Amino acid sequence: MSKEKVYIIPCSGIGKVFGSIGRETAYIVVNELAKGKSALECLPLIVKGKKEVIDRLKLNKVIAIDGCPLKCSYNNLIENIGKVDAQFMTTDIVKENRDLRPESSIIPVGEQTKNLSTKLAEKVAQKVDDLLKQKEESE
Amino acid sequence: MRKKVGIIACSGEELLGGTLSRAAARIVVEKLRPQETIILCAPLFAAGGLERHGGQEERNFAKEHPTITIEGCEEECAKIAVDKYSGPPAATFNITEFIDAHPKLKSMSREDLGEDGMKLAEIIAEVIAKKVDELFIRK
Repeated sequence: MSKEKVYIIPCSGIGKVFGSIGRETAYIVVNELAKGKSALECLPLIVKGKKEVIDRLKLNKVIAIDGCPLKCSYNNLIENIGKVDAQFMTTDIVKENRDLRPESSIIPVGEQTKNLSTKLAEKVAQKVDDLLKQKEESE
Repeated sequence: MRKKVGIIACSGEELLGGTLSRAAARIVVEKLRPQETIILCAPLFAAGGLERHGGQEERNFAKEHPTITIEGCEEECAKIAVDKYSGPPAATFNITEFIDAHPKLKSMSREDLGEDGMKLAEIIAEVIAKKVDELFIRK
């Protein structure tokens, strides 16, 4: 198991399904596709400025996943951590898969939403590997 | 201005309490009091410098309307944010108190609350809905 971790920070949006795709994606990455190599952190805690969380994120690679153009995850990370190593928009995966229409239901999320989340999670997991490789090479 | 109560759930992804807060908020806003409540996005609300990105609208809403925060853990991220940018929230609910009060309702996981977890979310939502009613009477 890799010691270094890539932190996945979804936007926490709960008003629309695009935030749910980000959250589901993050869970698939940390629990399945990049288990042991990635971890979650609460965005509200980052916004609040919890010191140990901020310090940990500064030392590790960080991926933002956002559900709308306001980019809460990306903007908050830039403001509080000072960097984002990669960013994803859930709306992009929806545009790339026109045959999969996410259901409007947020709790629970629907099957199409889950399928879209899995597709995005595959991309995010690949990025986790790339970032860890980059970090290893630079050390 | 139409009377509404703002609901802000911490919605933290890392903890079960965050998932319960999100579920309870959605139940209040979608099922129990759809006409009287509106959901506010916690990271959008709380981020510093959001004037540039759009969160000011949420902060202004909470200045002009009673707002209820739902906290997934003792960090109270939502309450602190509302307090800081819009004044004291009308009420704050801590999910951990509900978990302690209903030990038989065990949620499955932060990813999937399961049947018992959803029952607990319904109970939390009922209590919040009653508080919404009280706030309307008071107004």
